[in-house]
This record gives sequence, structure tokens and C-alpha cells, in this order.
Amino acid sequence: MATTTATITLSSGDLTGDALSLSTTSTLTKAGTVTGLTQFTGVGRKTRTTTAQMTLFDGDAYANGSHKVYLRNTSTVATEYFTIEINSEQIGKIYAGDWAFFPWEANADTNDIKIAASVGTAMTIEYALFIDE
Amino acid sequence: MGSVRASFSFSTSDVMTADISLSVGADLLADSGTISRAKVVKTAVDANALEVYTVNDKTESAYLYLKNLDTVKENYVYIYNDTDSDGLVAKIAGLEFCFIPVAVNKAYRVYGTKVDSMVEFAVFGLDSSAAGPFNQS
Repeated sequence: MATTTATITLSSGDLTGDALSLSTTSTLTKAGTVTGLTQFTGVGRKTRTTTAQMTLFDGDAYANGSHKVYLRNTSTVATEYFTIEINSEQIGKIYAGDWAFFPWEANADTNDIKIAASVGTAMTIEYALFIDE
Repeated sequence: MGSVRASFSFSTSDVMTADISLSVGADLLADSGTISRAKVVKTAVDANALEVYTVNDKTESAYLYLKNLDTVKENYVYIYNDTDSDGLVAKIAGLEFCFIPVAVNKAYRVYGTKVDSMVEFAVFGLDSSAAGPFNQS
């Protein structure tokens, strides 16, 4: 069985009275099982030179499952962000250098993951998808 | 103002023929923050479902970390937009986590496959004066 692990670490020395430190690891598995995900898009990048929204992952192209999505805004300009939308639901903005990781069900043809750059001057998003099929 | 270092990595040696390893980190500006642990109290959209982000608690940008502590994969936790659409944002299986941006002007709540599943969550960002203390609105 393929084994992929994802780890998040949150730390801060100046946010709370006691130092904040959390690290947790999850093994990426298919929906409702302990079977590891076996398909992967690789880590890719897409540069946008327009603020128009684009579909990054098409819900119609993937089975209903527990896919795992990684996104990162490679910009170094603090004000630049990508707006992330899933199934027409805006979940938020990823600012310069920030990243996101979340499961994606792709439970309908319309369950797309869409992105929109805040400016039309060559913003790049880094992405990867572990596929549950 | 403080900051939080949010680091993420994933690795595998057997999904592809070559090893894959990626590691990134970001420094997030934040005024306050705490890691909470709470019970999921509803199994569907409900006004009294556990709130994990209070509308307008942060300005500009905010990030939500949430881990489903239930050890059973099939005991999912669902994050949804409670402000206007009840739209599903993420479905987290047992022992999995997410780290996502949230729309600062929306409220987010969670429900689960079953009540009493435990979740661990935190929100980081710059505080807004438009909302009361976290989870106290």
C-alpha cells in the first residue's frame, strides 16, 4: 500500500504567554478506509496574467472521494493573493507565500476548485492533488 | 502584533517511482491565537453547531487549522459557511486535518457524522474590533 504522510507544524514565540507549538501528521488515505492514496498529479505551477477566475481542478474529472489538495501562492508581494473557491463557495484568500491543505470530495460535476489572482501581472500558484480513485 | 510560523510537508516513497518530498512554511501575522479542543455537537447544519470561526473576528485574511481527532475514518467532520449559504467547505475524515483560508466576513461551523467526536482547531489572523471574543459572539 502506498503511504503518503502530511505534517503541519504551527509555532509562535510571541502570540501567547506560553510558546505555541503544535505538530501533527496524517497519513493520506482513501475515503472511509485506511488504504493509501496511489495517484498523484505531481507538484505543478500555473502562472496567471489575468484576474479572471479559472478552474484548477474540475469536479467532473474526479470520482467522489477524499482527494487531498495542496495550494501555495508563490508571490513575494504581500498584497497579492489568490481567492480560492470550491463548489462556488469562496473559502478565502491565500496571500503571498501562504499555503493551504485540505481534503476535497469532488462529489458533483460542479464541485470545482477555482482560483482567481488578485492582480493580472504574472502571479503563480503551486498545486498538487493526491487522487482518491 | 505577533506571528505564527505555519509549516507543511508531505512525502511519499511509493506513490511514484521517485521519492516525493515537499516542505513549505509561511509566517502569518496574528494578534492572538489559541488552539482549542471541542466536541462536535450536531450532525447537520444547525444554529447551535460548534462555531470554529466567528464572523469578522479577523481582518483581511485568516487561516483555520482543524483536525478531526476521531480515530474512525468514517466519522467525518464537516466545515460549512454558516453566514449565508450553509455551503460545505471541507469534509475531514478521522485523524485528518486541514489548513485553509477562510472568508473573514463569514462564520464557519462544523457538524459531524456523529456527536461527541472531538476536534482540535485554531484560527490565526489580525484581530478585528467588529467581533467579540472568539466563540463568544
